[in-house]
Amino acid sequence: MLSGQHDSARDSDIALTRVTVRHPTAAGEVTALDDISLETCAHNLAVIGLNGSGKSTFARLLNGLRTPTQGSVSVGGLDTVTDVRMLRRKVGFVFTNPDAQIVMPTVAEDLAFSLRGRGLSTGQIAERVAAVLAENGLAGHADLPAHDLSGGQKQMLAIQSVLVAEPSLIVADEPTTLLDARNARRIADLLLGLPQQCVIVTHDLELAARCDEALLFDNARLITQGNPRDVIDRYLSEIVARP
Amino acid sequence: MTMLGQYRARDSILHRLPAGAKLIGLVVVIVAVVVPPPTWWGLGAGAVVVIAGYLVGRLGLAELWRQILAVRWLIVFIVVVPLIFLPIPTVLATAARVVIVLLLAAIVTLTTRTTEILDAVERALRPLRRFGVNPDRIGLMLALTIRTVPVIAGLAGELRDAQRARTGRLSVKAFVVPLLVQSLRHADDTADALAARGVE
Ligand SMILES: Nc1ncnc2c1ncn2[C@@H]1O[C@H](COP(=O)(O)OP(=O)(O)OP(=O)(O)O)[C@@H](O)[C@H]1O
Ligand SMILES: [Mg+2]
Repeated sequence: MLSGQHDSARDSDIALTRVTVRHPTAAGEVTALDDISLETCAHNLAVIGLNGSGKSTFARLLNGLRTPTQGSVSVGGLDTVTDVRMLRRKVGFVFTNPDAQIVMPTVAEDLAFSLRGRGLSTGQIAERVAAVLAENGLAGHADLPAHDLSGGQKQMLAIQSVLVAEPSLIVADEPTTLLDARNARRIADLLLGLPQQCVIVTHDLELAARCDEALLFDNARLITQGNPRDVIDRYLSEIVARP
Repeated sequence: MTMLGQYRARDSILHRLPAGAKLIGLVVVIVAVVVPPPTWWGLGAGAVVVIAGYLVGRLGLAELWRQILAVRWLIVFIVVVPLIFLPIPTVLATAARVVIVLLLAAIVTLTTRTTEILDAVERALRPLRRFGVNPDRIGLMLALTIRTVPVIAGLAGELRDAQRARTGRLSVKAFVVPLLVQSLRHADDTADALAARGVE
C-alpha cells in the first residue's frame, strides 16, 4: 500500500452505546463519561476538550483499560469487555509519558517485548526488531538503555514498540504533549501517515485539524462529532471562551 | 549518570559466553570470596580476578573506575556505619569483599543483555513450575525492576531540584512523601501500559 493512501475498508467501526463511566473517589462518585452514544469509522479521529472532560477515559475504553459502568463499547465488532484479549492484539495504545510505557531496559529489548507469545522464534524476533530499528534511524541505539534516550526518541520508541505488534487501530492519549515542536510534528506526521486507523487525544488543535474527524467532550458529555474545523471552532467559541 | 552494570556491547569471550554459565561462574567466585575468612592474599586474588574480568570483557579499567564511582556512596555507608561497632581492619576487609562481589556481578551484567539473563533465570526456574512458580512472571518482574531504577532516580532528581528552587534547602519529609506518591503513580501507569501491551 502506498503511504498516504488509506484502506478505509479495513478501518474498524468504533461504537459506544449509552456508555457511562463512574469512578469512586473519597468525595463520592465522579462521572467521567455520561451516557455517550456514538459511531465512527474515521481513519484519523481527534478527541479534544478541556482538562478533566473525559477524553482519556474515552481513549481507555477503546482497548479495555477502562470498562463502562453502564452500556457497551465495541471496536471492529469486538466487545471491549468480553473480547478483551483479542482486542488488545488489535488495538495499540500510546501513552503521554513514554517512561511508563517502555518496560524493558534497552531499546531492542523493549521492541522484542511486544513480540513475545506470538510463536515467533528468537531469530525471527531479532530480525523484525532490527528492521524496525533500521527504518526509524535507531539502528545504532539497539543496546542503549532506554533512559539514555531523549524525550522525543523515547516517544518514538514507545510508538514503534506499539507498531511492531501490528495493531489495526492505534489509540494515542496526548502523544505529543511532552515533546518540543519539532518532535511533536514528527510524531504527528508519523501517526497521521500510518496505514492504520488512529484515535488521537490532543490539546494541540493544529494536530486535531489535520485529522479526518473530531470529537469534542465537555463535562463528561459528547458535545459534537464532525469535521475537525467545525468542532474546533465550537470548542474555542463555546467552551474555551466560557467564563 | 552511571548505573551499576549497564550492558556494554563489545565483542569479547565474556560477551559470547552463555548467560547461564556466567551466572554459575559468578556464584562460584562469590562463594570463594565470601566464605573463607578474609586474608590479604584472598582479597588480592579477588581484585586480580576483577581486573582480569574487565580486561577480558574488553570493558577497560576506565569502566572499572566508573563502576566503583557508581557504588561510592554504598562504600561510604558500609565503611562508616560499622566503624562504630567494629575494629578498622574487620570493617575494611568486609567492605573490600562487598566491593569485589559488586564489581564481579557488574562484569556479568556489563557483558550480558538483560534479556539473556532473564531467559537463563526463567529456564532455571522452570522446574519450579509444578510448585506454582511462574518463571515468566518472575523474569518480567526482574526486567521491570531494572527498568524502574533509573526512572525513580530521575523522579527523585526532579523533586530535589524543585525543592531547592522553591525553598533553597531539602526537607526529608517533603521529599519522601511526594516521591512515594509519584513512584506509586508510575507503578500504576506501568501496570496500564503492560495491560495495553497484552500482559495479563
Ligand atoms: N482513576 C480515576 N479515579 C477517579 N477519578 C478519575 C479517574 N480517572 C479519571 N477520573 C475523573 O474522571 C474525569 C475525566 O477524566 P479524564 O482523565 O478522562 O479527563 P481528560 O479529558 O483526559 O483530562 P486531561 O485533559 O486533563 O487529560 C475527571 O474528573 C477525573 O478526575
Ligand atoms: Mg487525559
